[in-house]
Amino acid sequence: MENLHIEATKYTPQIDLDAETGVLHFSGKSYPENTFDFYQTTMQWIKEFFEQEMITKSRLEMDIIYFNSSSSKLFFDLFDLFEEAQEKGHTITVNWLYDAENENALEAGEDFKEDFESLDFNLIEK
Amino acid sequence: MKSSQDHLIEELQNFMDGDLEHFQTLGKKIIKAFKRQQRIMEQSDRRQRQEYDQLQDKLIEVEALNREIEETQKEVVFTMGAIGESRSKETGNHVKRVAGYSKILALAWGLKEAEAEMLKQASPMHDIGKVAIPDAVLNKPGKLNEEEYQTMREHAQLGYEMLRYSNRPLLLAAATVAYEHHEKYDGSGYPQGLKAEEIHLYGRITAIADVFDALGSDRVYKKAWKDEDIFALFRSEQGKHFDPKLIDLFFDHIEEILKVRETYKDQFD
Repeated sequence: MENLHIEATKYTPQIDLDAETGVLHFSGKSYPENTFDFYQTTMQWIKEFFEQEMITKSRLEMDIIYFNSSSSKLFFDLFDLFEEAQEKGHTITVNWLYDAENENALEAGEDFKEDFESLDFNLIEK
Repeated sequence: MKSSQDHLIEELQNFMDGDLEHFQTLGKKIIKAFKRQQRIMEQSDRRQRQEYDQLQDKLIEVEALNREIEETQKEVVFTMGAIGESRSKETGNHVKRVAGYSKILALAWGLKEAEAEMLKQASPMHDIGKVAIPDAVLNKPGKLNEEEYQTMREHAQLGYEMLRYSNRPLLLAAATVAYEHHEKYDGSGYPQGLKAEEIHLYGRITAIADVFDALGSDRVYKKAWKDEDIFALFRSEQGKHFDPKLIDLFFDHIEEILKVRETYKDQFD
């Protein structure tokens, strides 16, 4: 399975999905014009990654400094995928990175953590 | 790509088509999705409010800074004009009147309000170059000899040199005014001997404003000319010393010009 790399733009984050190490990294801003279209490839990749079960341990790094409501919705869907994989025996760590001054990022992280109780969800100050 | 909500709608559709077994699971999923949606909305509202507040605060800050910059610029320019004045035989109100006349002529010429206002603010600096003229020449009582006269004339070039390296439109306008306010329409002026439209409009305007004010004001060493004598001179110098079109505009707007003169007339004790 090939790694996926998407460069950041003004409206979208940089995405690095590494099938060998199982480290899935998102960093930057997320307010695309069409959020679900933008993340389609990424979501597809992650689904296949979990289906192929090449490795059983992975870490999601979310370093998102700004995002719109539909990205928030998409992140719920994204964490759903991780939760499902965990239910099937995959070991998952989620690291939600935030800047101390960025209250919104922290609040959003807390919100996700609350919703995904079963995940090893860490809020990490940068 | 479909969102998870779209999938739920699809499932609901299937259920309505008769798949009763999924009822429990689907119901839970729908409730969860609605709750999430609600949270996203709340979060988004909270953030929007914060962002809007921040934006307004920043805007107020930027506006205050802008005002500060403009005020500082005006003050610096005015102070520089006052410095220039202190080195000339003109009185305190001379630059204010020249500024006022210049704006009237600029607007009459068809310049927009902002540019006319800029010329108004720049024109007080027309004699700034005099700060670099030796006292012996500047304050010499009586007539200057040819050499001294040449030295005196250097103030136009000197003023230009002082201001020309700025990037600020206002100071560049002032540089032009300082450089060209002694040029004459027929090419007999100084320092460059420019002719007609070669002389920047700012220079052509300030020349009229400066001369009109110098002739029309009482000085310790001379009485003011009578208006009719000044007007006669302006008519005879139309196309020689002065831009003919600007002289026409000058007479078209003479009432406004005289009003400025009245507002800023010199007070002698």
